[in-house]
Amino acid sequence: MEKKSSLVWIDRGIVAVLVLMGIMMLLPFMWLFSMSFRPAAEAYRMPPSFLPPTLDLANYQAVLDSSVPFLRIYWNSLVVAVLSTIGQLITCTLAAFAYARLRFPGRDGLFFVMLFGLMFPAQVTILPIYLGYAQVGLLNNPLGLVLMGLTSSFGIFMLRQFMRSQPKELEEAALMDGAGYWKIFWRISLPQLKPALSALAIITFTGAWNAYFQPRALIESQDAMTLPLAMDLLRGYLGQGNISIVMAAMSMAILPVVLLFLVAQKMVIQGVTFSGIRG
Amino acid sequence: MARHYRSDLYKAQARAGYLFVLPSFLLYAVFVLAPVVVTIILSFAYYDISFGFFWVGLENYQRFFSEPRALTIFGNTLRFAFLAVTFNVAVGLILALALNRAMPAPLLYFFRLAFFLPVIIAAAFVSVVWSYFYSFDFGVINYYLSTLGLPRIPWLSSSQFAMTSIIIMDVWKNTGFFMIILIAALQGVPRPILDAARMDGASPWRTFSRITLPYISPVLFFCVVFASIGALQVFESIVILTGGGPGDATRSLSIYLVDEAFSGFELGYAASVSVIMMVLILIITIIQLVGSRRLVTH
Repeated sequence: MEKKSSLVWIDRGIVAVLVLMGIMMLLPFMWLFSMSFRPAAEAYRMPPSFLPPTLDLANYQAVLDSSVPFLRIYWNSLVVAVLSTIGQLITCTLAAFAYARLRFPGRDGLFFVMLFGLMFPAQVTILPIYLGYAQVGLLNNPLGLVLMGLTSSFGIFMLRQFMRSQPKELEEAALMDGAGYWKIFWRISLPQLKPALSALAIITFTGAWNAYFQPRALIESQDAMTLPLAMDLLRGYLGQGNISIVMAAMSMAILPVVLLFLVAQKMVIQGVTFSGIRG
Repeated sequence: MARHYRSDLYKAQARAGYLFVLPSFLLYAVFVLAPVVVTIILSFAYYDISFGFFWVGLENYQRFFSEPRALTIFGNTLRFAFLAVTFNVAVGLILALALNRAMPAPLLYFFRLAFFLPVIIAAAFVSVVWSYFYSFDFGVINYYLSTLGLPRIPWLSSSQFAMTSIIIMDVWKNTGFFMIILIAALQGVPRPILDAARMDGASPWRTFSRITLPYISPVLFFCVVFASIGALQVFESIVILTGGGPGDATRSLSIYLVDEAFSGFELGYAASVSVIMMVLILIITIIQLVGSRRLVTH
């Protein structure tokens, strides 16, 4: 009996330590959020704040009024993330349907070649893409980032696996009834794919929102930048004497992904751990 | 007649198949396959936009492996990968063991939020925040150290501490990823076996090392491989925290590659750096394939 109650206390102790660690994990986020509300003149005053001292939006206004085209940059990030997501949903579902459900010569060979893509890091493709983009005028253009993000080996692989785990009797019956492949894809296969599609959408959106390596290589001008590039820039422009304004920009920059996570926590975790795409 | 019908159906199916596969395969060929081939070709050449293209054989690779600076950077990358992987997976495992218990839903939500939020926020964003935490004069960490009467630490400006600082941030950012995967693995360990071991009076350590560890070892192995592939590509956290400095103390292969290509315009040499990275990652992938087969048969 005594042993049991001491076990309960050890258990509670572990949970208490974990809660403390959890709070410490969140401190950088609490700090950036509360600093974004601190009057600019007091930005460097110590101790730092971890809870907003006021709810004055002056720093947010200062970001928008600054010489860095923040709204334009924000728009670029949205365009890149949203268009890449839509693109991947279209190209990957089409391909996954063909690889999982249709028979045609060379199918498995093509799929195998496609799987190779999982092995190549961005570092191996970036130089030729840079040279090619320089030729066709896609450097310093967010659309260049969209184009290279329109499909992914991972997306195709994931959707194909998912589709293969679904029963295919309905599709076969529709085929017997003389329905065309497009109709079968659109009416029967696509609705079955819904859970996998939202996972892919979340992964692609956060992946594009967070990307740094390729934008850094392909974009230099402020007007074409995405947010991850701009944060470093803002630190230089606004950072002299003013952390508060940088952190106001930061709060706005992380907002979409934080909201997504708060609303769809489980789905985000499942998607990200499955794909291994990280910030 | 029936044969005719079937072959028509077959043709229609093949046509549909190629059409459906076409968009993604075209994009893949343009943005992955062709660039990889071109990178490999470039790595055996000297290429300059104004001077043109010359074959140089293995010269770029010879240069990489004979230049002390390149070797330092190669070593930095391996050292970072080794330490970041070890701590990410070890801390993730400890957290997973501690969290693998029944708990009320709100608490579970809080833990997932706290440990996974850093994983999904861009490294480029959180590194800027951490650069203020690590700042020597105005940094949050040094402020608390000095209120405790401890000396301030030059987190990012001394070559003695810079790599450690980057690894600390990396573990903060990524360990939650491994924690989640390992929790799932721990939940796959059959309960009856664990209960039987406890009934027999096995100590928690013995239960862990004899039952739990062998059960989760394939997943643990996957975590190590996966973390290594990510760590070898480390880029933005170092760019933002130290810019690769002081000196070259924290410069990684990815940073070197970008520097050589876009500041030095040494495209052929930069290509050889990317091929070296690709080979490193390939080796790890092969180790994974071989190793996971071996682990599964056990």
